[in-house]
Amino acid sequence: MSVASELIRGNTETIILAQLMKGDGYGYMVNKAILNLTGGRFELKEATLYTAFRRLEDAGCIVSYWGDETTGARRRYYSITDLGKESYRLRKKEWETAEAVIDKLLAEGEKGGSK
Amino acid sequence: MNEKLRHYIDDLFANAPSTVRAVELKEELYQNLTDKYNDLIAEGKNEESAFNIAIASIGDVDSLISGLTGEKQAASEAGKKRSALITAIAIALYILCPVPVILIQNEMGVMALFLFVAVATALLIYDGVTRERYVKADDTMVEEFKEWKQNHKQKNKATEAIVGSFWLIAVCVYIVVSFMTGAWHITWIIFLIAAAISSLIKGLFMLKQ
Repeated sequence: MSVASELIRGNTETIILAQLMKGDGYGYMVNKAILNLTGGRFELKEATLYTAFRRLEDAGCIVSYWGDETTGARRRYYSITDLGKESYRLRKKEWETAEAVIDKLLAEGEKGGSK
Repeated sequence: MNEKLRHYIDDLFANAPSTVRAVELKEELYQNLTDKYNDLIAEGKNEESAFNIAIASIGDVDSLISGLTGEKQAASEAGKKRSALITAIAIALYILCPVPVILIQNEMGVMALFLFVAVATALLIYDGVTRERYVKADDTMVEEFKEWKQNHKQKNKATEAIVGSFWLIAVCVYIVVSFMTGAWHITWIIFLIAAAISSLIKGLFMLKQ
């Protein structure tokens, strides 16, 4: 697995929360949105997606309910809770901190090269 | 073609426990894969490659399935063993309770009998109160009913245990008092008193609930 996809995987739950901040959604909808946003380069495996959903649900960050589609099969929808919104903001802040730190640390390499 | 997808998922979940959570996960997975498959067909993929792409996107569900219930079942298994042990000890105490009366044959023997009965009853009540409750897996009616039934049954068991041991004690008191005083013509009144107290205890229980 490449470093990039590993980094993305580490933020699976935050990415899902970000999608649900926009409104309720079901599994495939969330995954499709991620696929479109990354220009088709990145997509979550079903297993990864559901593991993340269950973990978020157990933590009280999201709640699920079965939709009442009149046509076709029923879908399971997920909705973000207040705790989930708070968690999203916290995770985003943490990512920004990590990003700044990594940028700073990796920039050291450029300095050495210019000497 | 959707049948093929359905078969594939059925196979995946062949070893899954038949819990509500597992069934719902299966339904959810099937629904999402069908959506994906239909999208791929709409994009112009042929059936074969659409099926293969959908299957490839599943990933490792085995760990997800095994993580669903394994732990819970193991825990309740230990709980059952503990409960059986406590019940067995309590019943042994009930059976052995006349032994001190026969051996010692004075007030001390009677005291020991009461002690036996008290300990046995306490054990049964402790077991009934601390036993694991059925926690509903989700908000469906069936699960709610199961939880209600389980809790109801436990309450009844506790009451039964108390009332049962109470009558045992009443009989002991009747026999002991009668033998000691020899006043058989009047000691039956103990049973009337016992009936009144028993109703009182049941009433108190109902009030608490």
